[in-house]
Amino acid sequence: MSSLNSFRELEHLREWLRQQRQNITTTVMVCGGTGCKASRSQAVIDAVKDELSRQELDTKVRLCVTGCHGFCEQGPVIIIEPGNIFYCHVSPDDAFEVVYQTVVKGEIIERLLYTDAVSGKTTRTMSEIPFYRAQDRQILSQNLNVDPCSIEDYIVAGGYSALTKMLRGMTPENIIKEITSSGLRGRGGGGFPTGRKWSECREAPGDEKYVICNADEGDPGAYMDRCVLEGNPHLVLEGMMIGAWAVGAGKGYVYVRNEYPLAVQHAQIAVEQARKFGLLGDNILSSSFSFNVEIARGGGAFVCGESTALMASVEGKVGEPRAKDVHTVVDGLYHKPTVLNNVETWANVPSIILNGSSWFASKGTQGSKGTKILALTGRIKNTGLVEVAMGTPIRTVVYDIGGGALNGNPVKAVQTGGPSGGCLPVDMFDLAIDFDVLYEAGSMIGSGGMVVMDEGTCMVDVAKYFLTFLQDESCGKCLPCRLGIDRMLEIITDITEGRGKPEQLDLLEELADTVVQTALCGLGKTAPNPVLSTLRYFCPEYEAHIGEKKCPAGVCKALITYWIDPDKCNGCGVCLRGCVYGAITGRKKQVHIIDAQLCQKCGICRSECKFDAIRVV
Amino acid sequence: MLKYVNVSIDGAIIHAVKGTSVLDTALEYGICIPHLCHVPYLSDIGTCRLCIVEHVVNGRSNVTTSCTLKVEEGMVIRTNTDRIRKLRRNLAELLAAQAPNSRAIQDIALRCGVKEVRYPFRNEDCVLCGRCVRVCAEVWKARAIGFVGRGKDRHVDYPFGIRPDFCKQCGSCIQLCPMTIPPCDGPMKPGEERLCGNCESQLIIADETPGSCVWCKLGEGFACGRYV
Repeated sequence: MSSLNSFRELEHLREWLRQQRQNITTTVMVCGGTGCKASRSQAVIDAVKDELSRQELDTKVRLCVTGCHGFCEQGPVIIIEPGNIFYCHVSPDDAFEVVYQTVVKGEIIERLLYTDAVSGKTTRTMSEIPFYRAQDRQILSQNLNVDPCSIEDYIVAGGYSALTKMLRGMTPENIIKEITSSGLRGRGGGGFPTGRKWSECREAPGDEKYVICNADEGDPGAYMDRCVLEGNPHLVLEGMMIGAWAVGAGKGYVYVRNEYPLAVQHAQIAVEQARKFGLLGDNILSSSFSFNVEIARGGGAFVCGESTALMASVEGKVGEPRAKDVHTVVDGLYHKPTVLNNVETWANVPSIILNGSSWFASKGTQGSKGTKILALTGRIKNTGLVEVAMGTPIRTVVYDIGGGALNGNPVKAVQTGGPSGGCLPVDMFDLAIDFDVLYEAGSMIGSGGMVVMDEGTCMVDVAKYFLTFLQDESCGKCLPCRLGIDRMLEIITDITEGRGKPEQLDLLEELADTVVQTALCGLGKTAPNPVLSTLRYFCPEYEAHIGEKKCPAGVCKALITYWIDPDKCNGCGVCLRGCVYGAITGRKKQVHIIDAQLCQKCGICRSECKFDAIRVV
Repeated sequence: MLKYVNVSIDGAIIHAVKGTSVLDTALEYGICIPHLCHVPYLSDIGTCRLCIVEHVVNGRSNVTTSCTLKVEEGMVIRTNTDRIRKLRRNLAELLAAQAPNSRAIQDIALRCGVKEVRYPFRNEDCVLCGRCVRVCAEVWKARAIGFVGRGKDRHVDYPFGIRPDFCKQCGSCIQLCPMTIPPCDGPMKPGEERLCGNCESQLIIADETPGSCVWCKLGEGFACGRYV
């Protein structure tokens, strides 16, 4: 394949590739995302591949190893087109049946179909599944039919047409106008209007400018950037090319954490392929536009997701933030004007250029346009990646898409936006997923993490968990973040261990407010959010910990005791055998007793007991 | 040829040299902004955050450190509002609780109006202001010491913990260290840490004139930029 020299050559290639694929009757799409790979999808892929070649179906059936389909809970997932048949929990042993029965004979294998956990109904196609039905998948749906390691797949699916549309007749000003009027806002957490960022960078003095893709996603429980980058790297590259043309940048970096090996690998392959095809390099498609991309691998520090720390890291310095009195769009990477956008933001760009800003702006709310990918995790039935239009209520995401809480325990709260976000109680679930609405409520969309918590979660413990995370991840450069988080954690640890005093709550709030206002970077400024939001909505829990020395959710070990309900215990002895500390005594068929001195509160007895006789008070 | 810009600091219109920081300008004109990590002849990194000021942009005031903020034409700065005083006091309280065993820290706490410390005292030897690291790198170009570790583990050390031969033991790092000035009553033993608050006359000055420099005795302790 020689490199493409004009728009027509790209269109010819697309046409030629489509013709080549005309005699393909069936496509088997196996998820090769990290989530499914963890459920052994590589073995499934190999088995299906062997089976196809054994039955000599290679030319008629296309096996497509795709990126994440979103429903990671059900992995490994196979989708077969035509028919949109959705199989889940596929094992390598099923490969023969999948190929012989479904691909050849067109029959459905009932056993592999998805059964909805809420209604108990079995569904045949992907579009019927409640998890997918309530979503609006603009970006994730592009993961479906594309092998991330194949630029051909991306081109067949209509890829790089936004690039040609742009190079054919859109000036940088037009692009910026289009992005501005689309209302696209940064998907990484801040929600800064992308159009404004680009135009500020374009107006900044200097010939040398940079664009960077921020794929240093570090929130616990969030992985949408990884899935987009590893599932469709060319989409991100195309977005970066458009951004580079708009701001006048000649070089771009994809900053991706090394803990995402698949994303690093796919991004590298994509860059090499694009270079080979002449879509990156000098005078792309014989236009005046030259642009190149390099992959910069990060060491996995959470703080390196912050813009200035990320740029320091790309430059090879210690990943520490610096003061941003002059914005990075003027003084960024190597002190040159730089546009830094999140993976998802870049991935939104090509379709805006292709379909127009009004198409994008038709989705969403007044202040937040388009769709947002959320990582739905925690105590919920359907975990996975969810893409919904902005303005969708949290309730829809948690109950309609997520299927409600696991094990029938009622949902208590949802934590949005990762460590920098906040916890929202269940009576606020009618709030829309919208940058401004969630910010007003003391939380944020952030990168889109959504951790669902049920009644068995202690909110003080949640705040403690996030503070511990942030204490580990703080770079330690500025005083409020380093000492402030440390002291907040100290106070919260006191509270969870029964040493809390009422006046500490005021101190906690004052300290949190100080850190918000004075910290150097975004990490520090948002670090107290978990504390502030839990204090705001779950203050009675803090008070119970301090006043009554009780943990209502039964989580904080220092404040709970395990005891056996004599009315329910029938003396089966399961708990006695399960207790590793020898804290349970009792004779067979008689009520057992827990020795509070020996009990380490591990909870094994409680999970072993079939009669629900062990209580936490 | 120096260029000048007009900035408003606490309502005073100041004819400031372009390119200087707000902190330097304010100190030169006698406006007191307590600070710790700032040294006039070293670069500013904004770690101690004590020199925070309100920078009013389009009617909205942002809190930012004055040492990293460069003066610009028409800039409006407020250094001594209730909000800033409260934040500064809270920061100084954190600092005093962490490392009370230094006259410099005690003086800063006093100047920032800390009357009580609501956290358990610790007796750390280093507050990570980075003065030593910068003087070694910027004045002597030696880089014999630097920051090691992240977050809670951050500390100042030689490369790989071994003194390199390009460290000439010149002692500049020790001279600039705020922790080498013991409290007036002598070093505090572990368990006896307290807010000393001995300087009663200084206390009154700190209360009555928090916003303007009175050449207080405290500045000598914390190596205020006006004394260096």
